[in-house]
Amino acid sequence: MSLTTGEMMKTAVANDHEQGWDFEKAAMPYVDSLYNTAYRMTRNSEDAEDLVQETYLKAYKYYDKFEEGTNFKAWLFKIMKNTFINNYRKKKLTPHKIDFSEIEESYERVIQKNAPDLIKDPESDIFQDMMDADVKRALDSLPHDYKMVVLLADIEGFSYKEIAEILDCPVGTVMSRLYRGRKMLERTLLEYARKYGYIRGGAEPAKMRSRKDEAKPRKKKDDETEETEAAEPEENEEEILFAAADEEEETEEFEFEEEEEEEFELE
Amino acid sequence: MGCDDVKRVLYFFLDGALGDKKSRSVNDHLNLCPDCERRSRLHQQLRAFVRRRLAAVPASDKFKVRLTRTLRVFRVE
Repeated sequence: MSLTTGEMMKTAVANDHEQGWDFEKAAMPYVDSLYNTAYRMTRNSEDAEDLVQETYLKAYKYYDKFEEGTNFKAWLFKIMKNTFINNYRKKKLTPHKIDFSEIEESYERVIQKNAPDLIKDPESDIFQDMMDADVKRALDSLPHDYKMVVLLADIEGFSYKEIAEILDCPVGTVMSRLYRGRKMLERTLLEYARKYGYIRGGAEPAKMRSRKDEAKPRKKKDDETEETEAAEPEENEEEILFAAADEEEETEEFEFEEEEEEEFELE
Repeated sequence: MGCDDVKRVLYFFLDGALGDKKSRSVNDHLNLCPDCERRSRLHQQLRAFVRRRLAAVPASDKFKVRLTRTLRVFRVE
């Protein structure tokens, strides 16, 4: 939404509509939280700002529908989630198959491979040197629904029940996505850590490459890839890894090999 | 409770979402099993890391001003 000068003038003589002030007071403290999540969802600041603004305008419009005493922050997130789905996910792409037993297995493999390093000094922060771009890429490699659950639980600190409400799904689905989403994210981070030498020392050049990636977003290359980079096997391997990640980014809908709903006994 | 059972509920244990009885058995297991204990610490470490790294994109002041202004205009209409 863009403002005309006339509209701006109107703000100057802003009225005292009480509900508006209430809303502003209640909603503005959450703007950073919403923006951060919006940024992770849309992957750029411009779209994130648009999404947050649209969320606020909708929330204001329906403010009288908000039930006093329920969780206002969760309500805002729910509106944002719905807005995001309407705006950004209209075009359904071909489902991408995910094999969860494979994820489970590869997670165990990665854990085993890294076990010696983790045993050596489990208290040290083995990931502290990891580039922000790598962390971001690891998050973006998650299927959208899993990414959302991880963001809401681990970044925003919502409870399972609140997440279920925001996403309009059963608590069991939240848990199942959280279980898998965290696993996928951990696995990817451990793989990066290993690949770029954050875990095992001595892979300094890898970090330099990451820096380059950060400055210039990776685009999937086609046939030129092999010719230009075949000389450097290390680099080439990395190229393949990112090409695969790019492919995933273009796919928004995922189809699951296993049943999505998994039972976890809490009691 | 065996290692496989613990692995399945470890995240939920760490979230404090398990019932008392189950939570106690996980706890007992972790005290006895270094493998699972290490895994538990790894989960926690990674969670803290992800939280630290991914929570760091606040909205710009410029945007906040614009948003507040837009809301006020919206209110007038």
